Amino acid sequence: MNKISHSFDIHKKTILTLLLILAFIWSLFSVNWGPELVHTGGKATLAQIFESLFHPQLSSEIINLALIATWRTLSYAVAGMTLAIIIAILFGVLASGVLAKSELSRRFSKGVFRGILGFMRAIHELIWAWLFVASIGLTPYAAIFALAIPYGGILGRIFADIINDVPKEPIEALYSAGASRIQLLFYGYLPMAASDMISYTMYRFECAVRSSTVMSFVGLGGIGFQIQLALQDLNYNQVWTYMFFLIILVVLIDLWSNILRKRLVE
Amino acid sequence: MQQLNNIFELNNISKVYERKIAISSLSLTIKKGELVALIGPSGAGKTTLLNILANVLKSESGQLLISGVLSDKYNSGKKLAKKIGIIRQQFDLVGQLPVVHNVLAGRLVEWGFLKSLLSLIFPQEKELAKKALDRVGLLDKIYEKTSNLSGGEQQRVAMARLLVQKPEVILADEPVSALDPARAEDILSMLTKLVREENETLITVLHSVEYAKKYFDRIIAMREGKVYFDLPAEKVTDKLLSDLYDLKELN
Repeated sequence: MNKISHSFDIHKKTILTLLLILAFIWSLFSVNWGPELVHTGGKATLAQIFESLFHPQLSSEIINLALIATWRTLSYAVAGMTLAIIIAILFGVLASGVLAKSELSRRFSKGVFRGILGFMRAIHELIWAWLFVASIGLTPYAAIFALAIPYGGILGRIFADIINDVPKEPIEALYSAGASRIQLLFYGYLPMAASDMISYTMYRFECAVRSSTVMSFVGLGGIGFQIQLALQDLNYNQVWTYMFFLIILVVLIDLWSNILRKRLVE
Repeated sequence: MQQLNNIFELNNISKVYERKIAISSLSLTIKKGELVALIGPSGAGKTTLLNILANVLKSESGQLLISGVLSDKYNSGKKLAKKIGIIRQQFDLVGQLPVVHNVLAGRLVEWGFLKSLLSLIFPQEKELAKKALDRVGLLDKIYEKTSNLSGGEQQRVAMARLLVQKPEVILADEPVSALDPARAEDILSMLTKLVREENETLITVLHSVEYAKKYFDRIIAMREGKVYFDLPAEKVTDKLLSDLYDLKELN
């Protein structure tokens, strides 16, 4: 019996791979391989979109509009991230359990705050956006809160993990030098975790810009809203203008985060 | 009176790890101002003993008195830190902080939360840190990022922290095992010199018998959880040492 289960353990992965391949092949039979499988007009549209990639509309009016919309998207992302960072540091530290004195209170603090962070990030920012638009209307606050809550949840969780993963020796040394829990946090955990926390936050900031773009599809203004309007007019040349603004924004943030990271490592 | 002179008193201390005996009914006294080296083969229980003295580990049975007071009475980290300072291998420091904060960490036992937080921006009691760093010869590195320092320099920063902490006794767990011989001697001679100047007590776990004889007054040799010999450094003979490290099992 033992032997059988042992040999099953070894081959578990292979068996799973085979099953998945079989399931895939089986699924191919349920596809209706007719001419209507692919949208026939799609090819022409695709060509049109590709072609307009090289002819973005660069009139001063559109550029002006794109600049304002990009600025709005960036502002939502910055404001949302700022709130998210505050939430994440507070909840992340509590979810790491390093401030708790006894084993029991450590478990309690970890459990409760990891739960809260989990709830915050389980709901996508778009859904939060719908909820906030429904409750407080089409205001910038809806966009900012909708970003801050799930991003606070993600950042807080990662912050807690980073804090839990710092080397233990310096912490023990500080403790034996008489540092209290809160002193350990500021002299040990946070300095050791800071560079990882900042570099992850920068990556998340980049994501926040994209999220803020998508969120404006619900009507909250910004570059995403302009892309949506241009798409509805089938004006692909304009769509690309806005896309390029978005790409430039993301690339700039990436450059900034690289510079920041390099300075942190030195 | 006799009791006040003893910084540590161990009566029949035992420690068991998952049925393996690490220390068996060990009794010892260590007086104020002694410089003690703990030597012995690997697995003899030296580090376990040091951790029991540091109150990091609790013994299964027996009694430990620190300055005549039962070890259980030292239930807060702050209370213990005024009595006992610890230096281990070179991984004790927070590498991301400048040297000055690692040194001033020795003052955290006295400082409240706000003062320690303020100190991270405007170092408080900087003169104290400067004086300590001067004594270990690192005054010019005061604002350097600690991880940029070499292993020997980092151990000197750890000593400067102990100078600022001013405990009555220093426990050192193989403080030079990660260093080359020249730096190891440098650190040990500095550590023993500072401890003598401060009238502190020093207990060091060491791998090197040679250093133990050169820098310490008293050598306690451990083997299989027991004291094998406990002698003034000059009375330790080569015969005793070769017996201590003999590979044969004891009966």
